[in-house]
Amino acid sequence: MRALCLVALLATTPAFAADDDAAALGLADKTVTTAEQARDWHLFTEAAWNLAVLRATDATQQFERLSLGASYDTVVAPQWRVAFADRFDAWWQQEPSRQYNVNTLQEAYLSWLPRPDRIADLGSINTRYGVAYAYNPTDFFRTDAVRATVSADPAVQRENRLGTVAVRGQALWTGGSLTALYSPKLADHPNNGALDPDLGATNGSNRWLVAVSQQLSDQFNPQWLLFGTVGQPPQFGLNLTTLLNDATVLSLEWSGGRSASLFVQALSLPSDTAFRSRLATNLTYTTANKLSLTVEYEYCGAALDGDAWDELGRRSLPVYVAYRNYVAAVQDPPTRRRFFLRAFWQDALFNHFDLTSYAFVDTVDHSWQTWVEARYHWTQLDLALQWQRNDGAPLSQYGALPQQWITQVLARYFF
Amino acid sequence: MSESTRRPSYGAIVALWAALAPGHVTAAAAPNAQEILAASDAIRNPGQPFGLTVALIEYRDGKQTDSTTLAVYSKADPASGQFRSLIRFVAPPRDANKLMLKSGNDLWFFDPASKASIRLSPQQRLLGQAANGDVVTVNLAKDYKAELLAEEDTQDGERVNRHCYKLALAAVSPDVTYHHIEMWIDVSSDRPVKARFFSESDRLLKTAYYRRYQLQLGVERPTEMVIIDGLNPQWVTVMRYSDFAWREVSEQWLQRDYLPRFRPE
Repeated sequence: MRALCLVALLATTPAFAADDDAAALGLADKTVTTAEQARDWHLFTEAAWNLAVLRATDATQQFERLSLGASYDTVVAPQWRVAFADRFDAWWQQEPSRQYNVNTLQEAYLSWLPRPDRIADLGSINTRYGVAYAYNPTDFFRTDAVRATVSADPAVQRENRLGTVAVRGQALWTGGSLTALYSPKLADHPNNGALDPDLGATNGSNRWLVAVSQQLSDQFNPQWLLFGTVGQPPQFGLNLTTLLNDATVLSLEWSGGRSASLFVQALSLPSDTAFRSRLATNLTYTTANKLSLTVEYEYCGAALDGDAWDELGRRSLPVYVAYRNYVAAVQDPPTRRRFFLRAFWQDALFNHFDLTSYAFVDTVDHSWQTWVEARYHWTQLDLALQWQRNDGAPLSQYGALPQQWITQVLARYFF
Repeated sequence: MSESTRRPSYGAIVALWAALAPGHVTAAAAPNAQEILAASDAIRNPGQPFGLTVALIEYRDGKQTDSTTLAVYSKADPASGQFRSLIRFVAPPRDANKLMLKSGNDLWFFDPASKASIRLSPQQRLLGQAANGDVVTVNLAKDYKAELLAEEDTQDGERVNRHCYKLALAAVSPDVTYHHIEMWIDVSSDRPVKARFFSESDRLLKTAYYRRYQLQLGVERPTEMVIIDGLNPQWVTVMRYSDFAWREVSEQWLQRDYLPRFRPE
């Protein structure tokens, strides 16, 4: 009987397949496509409601935020291109009640292409390097670049940062390129004014960068960097990625050079210059059902180590605060080692529904931060619910953050 | 000339009879399967660098769930003969101006919002149900060894019966999206008609129909591919090609460091 059923099943399978194919072709017959054209401009607006529980008092704190983002990128004449991107964030905080705004000029530059393989740029340029996910040692222009933190998610912080006023040239050849950039000092100090271009943050000193890349094989396309700034020996950088198999990518990002420790820089102490390395290396594995898992190890040789970090808060709270503020501005971690774990599940459970979660684990002070997001997207609208929790001892990296947990609901509309 | 070649031998007569018998192909009479596949590639793929627009419309259970528009620029690698492609997202607005660079398994994704160029594994998908490899031009004859299984009639995407070569394609390179493929190619025109794509474990991943043939860049080419998911046939992707044009695709474009610069118009 079982054999009979199997034979019957096998006999009907091609018929089912033919029916399925006919149905699919019928759908295709009825498909109407509209001609979508590439646009020079893009706009979005985002509204967020934010509720946090403060660690010290268990009191709640409520924010609302409205953000507007605009970008424009067009060819204005043969060989000439203009790029512009800006974001404006407005916050409303309750208890204590206050309202504040921050504008971030992300880029505004003119580009000249005298030949297809030669490019020159002048203006505010958002230059970013690095293949790691949550910590980019070769992103040399990250210092003071973030004006408005709208999320702890490293992916969001990368999107919302200032450009640096610079002149940049690039030469390209088959499988490789050379980029040189010079960014002059234009102001002395950062300016917190809502609409200020904040040149003191991005152009507070003379800086330069040279980057070279060359495809060595199908597997390897390394990028070497050399960065210099006033008062510091040149820093070297390397970015490298390779495929381990069809589902796994390995990335390595390193920078190193003689420099003072972050603690000395933060407090303007006598220099303790030595060769210091920074490293971020990660592995991303993707399953067949669109789940990507990333584990990243991060090391900052200029940050404090275990004993010095443990003692810092106990010795002097103002010094601790000054150090934390400084490392946050230069986007380095306050301690030497941490892990970053991330899971991203595209079309999780049902279509258009994405789940993302990450955790930072500080292996020096054993504090951690966890973050989870559920996001549903329609054609032009995203709706997301985010939840973040900070845990650890009182003066640890994540235990010292004032919010114990934060919930955020946001809606983003793309025009 | 020898005696044996002047007069048909008994063996040759048997071979001729076998070759003419419907649905049965012998090695002696078989056309070269690899040449059939290469001829079919030449119909799908223009012989010079080109650009086109791809509209991907996804259906689930008969309802449209997604729509994506891509601008694709392709150029064959003079060394390998395989195509390398730059794909620019045009719509929806959420994804506009994102870029994908694909050269074999070397796959990069650039997001203009974060200025980040991220290396992807072939398993990471950016296009809903369609594999990244589905939207780019591929010379199958470069990546697969073809074997002629049979000649048979099959229904094409327009529900017309076509007399086809049925080829079995086995991957010769690990840098491919599908482990093996069954492909039906029109005997009279070398047009690809239908293909079934399989995993290494012989699981049917998808079925594709090549249809809506139109004169594009000098050759009658398919301007639509209907992809039916192997696991759930209710998941259907319609890929519609338009705006075919010869395009200058510079060698310098086809690298990670050019992605932030790419602006072809």
